Amino acid sequence: MKAISRTSAACLVAAVTLFGREAGSAEPRLAPVPVECATQGVDGAPAIGFPNLTRAMTQRQKIVALAIGSSVVGRSRPGGDYYGLVERFLETTFKGLDVVLVQRGVSGELARDGADRIRLETARFTPDVVFWQVGTADAMAGIDPAETREIVRSTIRWLKEHEIDVVLIGLHYTPSLRDDGPYQAMRRAISDVARAEGVLRIRRYEVGETLDRLSRSPSETAPFTDYGSLGDTCMAEHLARSLATGLFARRVRGDLDKPQPRAK
Amino acid sequence: MPRSANAVDFWRGFALVEIFINHIPGTVWEQFTHKTFSQSDSAELFVFLAGWSLNHVVGPPDHPRPKRQLIMRLFLRAGMLYAAHMVIVMAAIAMLAIGSKVLDNPLLLEWFNASAVFTAPVEAHIGLVFLTHQLGYFDILPLYVVLLFLSPFIALLHRRWPSALLPASAGLWFVCLVGEVTFDTWPTQGEWFFDPLCWQFAFVLGFLLAQTTGPGAWVRAHIVPIRWVALPVIAFAAWARWSGWELDPTAAPEPHLLFVNDKSFLTPTRIGQFLLLAALASVLWEPIRRRLPSLAGALSLLGRNSLLVFCIGSLLSLAAQILRFAFRGSFVGDSVIVACGLAILFTAAAVADWWERQR
Repeated sequence: MKAISRTSAACLVAAVTLFGREAGSAEPRLAPVPVECATQGVDGAPAIGFPNLTRAMTQRQKIVALAIGSSVVGRSRPGGDYYGLVERFLETTFKGLDVVLVQRGVSGELARDGADRIRLETARFTPDVVFWQVGTADAMAGIDPAETREIVRSTIRWLKEHEIDVVLIGLHYTPSLRDDGPYQAMRRAISDVARAEGVLRIRRYEVGETLDRLSRSPSETAPFTDYGSLGDTCMAEHLARSLATGLFARRVRGDLDKPQPRAK
Repeated sequence: MPRSANAVDFWRGFALVEIFINHIPGTVWEQFTHKTFSQSDSAELFVFLAGWSLNHVVGPPDHPRPKRQLIMRLFLRAGMLYAAHMVIVMAAIAMLAIGSKVLDNPLLLEWFNASAVFTAPVEAHIGLVFLTHQLGYFDILPLYVVLLFLSPFIALLHRRWPSALLPASAGLWFVCLVGEVTFDTWPTQGEWFFDPLCWQFAFVLGFLLAQTTGPGAWVRAHIVPIRWVALPVIAFAAWARWSGWELDPTAAPEPHLLFVNDKSFLTPTRIGQFLLLAALASVLWEPIRRRLPSLAGALSLLGRNSLLVFCIGSLLSLAAQILRFAFRGSFVGDSVIVACGLAILFTAAAVADWWERQR
């Protein structure tokens, strides 16, 4: 398991290295996405999604991102946590860009509390973009999806009014919840509000589902893959790529989405 | 012999019941706790009363407890709380692990910030021991542990320079608000949910206002006008809470934390509203004691066994959350869960009282 985790990390490092080669050019060509992460992990159009991020990057050469939702294990892990990967990814891709990532995730925090936290942390750190993992805790706590949808909608609008971009990171995947009505209703609610408000959504559930399918047919991939870690890596991949693409307001189709063999 | 019903134990019991219910987010009974119409909630009450109770250990001004005994007793109490916290955290991790196995759902671990214990066990266990890693809804006791480890210094400072404690505590609180100083969590990235450097202010206020000298004496002398001032403020706060109105934090002047409502940093609006609410609510104890003696006795029973009730309540609210997830919440289901939980809490407190009488 460790060996393959290292392989995944190596794959990511290779990707970052490739970006590094392009750093400083007008438009970086993104490295191939690892085959395990090749499912459509993004819902929305990143090319038009980040006007405030783009402005911050061009005016200040610095972007501040605020991460809200589940708390994540920090840099004690080899390679860092997935937000760390995003930070490194962007800084390598855009030479001279300073990415400041403020993590204020609280595991189990409901959307209503997360919304309050977003407003407060916005005042504290003035972010250019908010990464909001939302929905899982609400679904687990049995909150009415309509209530969560309304909170997410009003918070997205508040962020837009304050010239802050937002990326929603959808619900987690676990096989036992595949047929769970309330969980799937919450998933749809988050998806609907993201679509209606025109914000990017990282399709965490679908990515997890694909990885789960791959894990059940080991012949398709290398054996002993650590799919748990890979799920986070894929999420980071999709998030970073969406941001990178959005920042250039132009998308190089084909390279980004086409599944490629994993680096060994 | 257990002590008889009194206002402090009553309100502490009240806070314990509310904490138990509020730690089952999504339950229909959550809306019947006072946070529904208040900027503050039971956490302020619990910490304030912890500071109030510090006076029992310190002793009366004319007969203070010897210094060495005071220090030993407070550190011993802090150690006991720390041990209790460790026990319930380990029990909670086991409950979550069992829940995730039985329900075939690893998200339970993620939900309560326990996944790091399994994915990064080395770091997470170091974090658990040093209180930098806290499970979801198990974050009040770490605050309480820090406050109790601080309590010998608070008590000794007050004994040596009584008038210096309030400015020192308020000064630390103010500096931490302005500088946004808090404790980081590790290995998960973030901040403590309750910033001890700010929350020490509520603890010290409880300690000082319990006394018949200094600020406590001033409040007692002016309690009637304070209550008149409190009335419209509390009414406005209730309206704001009810209607969802709040000051946009980004529109607040800098430093923002001085003007916004935030629980983690115990901002001025929160502690101010709590103090005024406490001044108003304090009038209720006497009528309740006279007309509803069974209610007064029942909540006092919980309050005088607060550590035991808090620990059992924490585990019960965790179990309740898992059960609500497994069977999905409903009015009937939530009512049964809350009623059973409270019955267990009262039974545990009654057994502890019985045990105390046997000694």
